Amino acid sequence: MRSPQFSSFVILVVLLVVFGIADSNFLSPLNISNMMAFLPELGIIALGMTLLLTAGEFDLSVGAVFGLAPVVAMLLVQNAGLDIGVALLAGLLLCIAIGAINGVIVTKIGISSFLVTLSMLLIVRGAALYITQGFPLKSWDQPGFFVTLLAGSFNIGAFRFYTSLWWFIGLSLLAVYILRYAKLGNWISAIGSNRNAAVARGVPADAVKIWLFILTSVLAGLAGMISAFRISAASPVAGTGYELEVIAMVVVGGTALTGGRGTILGTVVGALMLRAIRNGIVLVGVPGLAYNIFVGVIILAMLILHALLQKNAARS
Amino acid sequence: MQEVLRLQNLQKSFGSVRALKKASLTLKEGEVVALLGDNGAGKSTLIKAISGVFPIDRGDIYVRGEKVSIRTTREAMDLGIETIHQDTSLAPDLSIARNLFLGREPVNLKWLGVFAPLDRAKLRNAASELLKRVGISKKLDADALVSTLSGGERQSIAISRAMQFAAKVIILDEPTNNLGVEETHGVLRFVKEMREAGHSVLLITHNIHHVFEVADRIIVMRRGEIVAEQTVADTDLLTVESLITGADLSALMKRAQ
Repeated sequence: MRSPQFSSFVILVVLLVVFGIADSNFLSPLNISNMMAFLPELGIIALGMTLLLTAGEFDLSVGAVFGLAPVVAMLLVQNAGLDIGVALLAGLLLCIAIGAINGVIVTKIGISSFLVTLSMLLIVRGAALYITQGFPLKSWDQPGFFVTLLAGSFNIGAFRFYTSLWWFIGLSLLAVYILRYAKLGNWISAIGSNRNAAVARGVPADAVKIWLFILTSVLAGLAGMISAFRISAASPVAGTGYELEVIAMVVVGGTALTGGRGTILGTVVGALMLRAIRNGIVLVGVPGLAYNIFVGVIILAMLILHALLQKNAARS
Repeated sequence: MQEVLRLQNLQKSFGSVRALKKASLTLKEGEVVALLGDNGAGKSTLIKAISGVFPIDRGDIYVRGEKVSIRTTREAMDLGIETIHQDTSLAPDLSIARNLFLGREPVNLKWLGVFAPLDRAKLRNAASELLKRVGISKKLDADALVSTLSGGERQSIAISRAMQFAAKVIILDEPTNNLGVEETHGVLRFVKEMREAGHSVLLITHNIHHVFEVADRIIVMRRGEIVAEQTVADTDLLTVESLITGADLSALMKRAQ
């Protein structure tokens, strides 16, 4: 009971049971397939955000990067006639640049990541709107290697899954390995827990943070491309508000907002939980406009429950 | 006794403030030297310069007679200089074992660089071994989080970490701050053990009583300069106090009598 991801897991099971009882369609193959199609897109960003939060920083620009990366790639294909592979690569390079700028300003100039990435959110979203003049672009839809790689789908029984689920599973395993088993994970936790102590032991804290900003940005861009390919459209407003949803997933999973304690398994549970909530409350008939109220209340309730469980564990 | 560390005319300014004006000192093998001084005397600047927190402006540092340059904390550690800062030496969210090896983690598949997997068995065993050696194995589990430890236990962990890497020079910055009486004695016992094990210790403290309990030699700093150097056997509390404040306390006392 002590580990935060375990209490999150219990809450997730309770939610699934409640929604399952409230509406029989909730656990139907079609609905589960639907949830699994959306899950990886936010989940992949949440993996990067978990590592970044564990190191004591966070990134509000991920939603905007999610929108910009596929838009840039598609503009390069449609207006500059670039090969799709090269265009996607260019989109990811742009993400690397955005992450590096975030990281360098946060670590070398010493401005809080909240302010730096909030500004970056505006710049990136503004750029996406300006270069598209606000219109969504048609995405790449010719079957081929990249469509299969990013948005191919396959059936298992009555379930229909997208390749993005493999991306999510693979990246989750990689993130678990890095945070729990690799030397780098020890550094990430130490930096978030006590930066001065880590630096005094020779840990290159700034470099680690800059790379984590880059990683988070690249994962946001990759998720944006996956999404654009799945729905065959690259919209400049795609991903609006995702930054907060992703941070909610991460903290609901048990990662500390203050750094030092991070759990990838918790984040996977958190991503599942938020997806289930969004999907479930629509199914049980909450009116569309009231829907965010419920999401907010449920997240808050879960965080309070978390805090209480933690307190009890600390006392015993 | 062999000379381990020699500082010659170290200088450091921050803007127009000369925090360190030509500070020189030597540290011999197996010797505990107390560095005393009021707030702003330059003690912190001096130890930060030796431990690589920032580079010095001018002056020379010799380790075992060899001239060295120390620009980063890593370089200081590699030269065998371990610094234990007050309260800031450990990461509370990490286990004892992970803290002990922070920055020097034992890994498998070394070629993977920062992605190399930690050698968890070795990490655990080495940590337990170390905890046993320093006599705190009965109470502490190597996998326990540092956040669950008391201040004294944390200091002990930080000190054992420095001893474990066979540091030539161990710098203790206010090691007994915020500690209870018993914990303070534990730390002072540690300092004596370090000397017996052949480490040289530079002890920064405000508590002069501790100095007389463990130190061999006293160095007093005032306004960025080293103003006095005495062996503990040849001095007394009042003399040291007047050296720190710059006022001749013993003369005052005599007059009062």
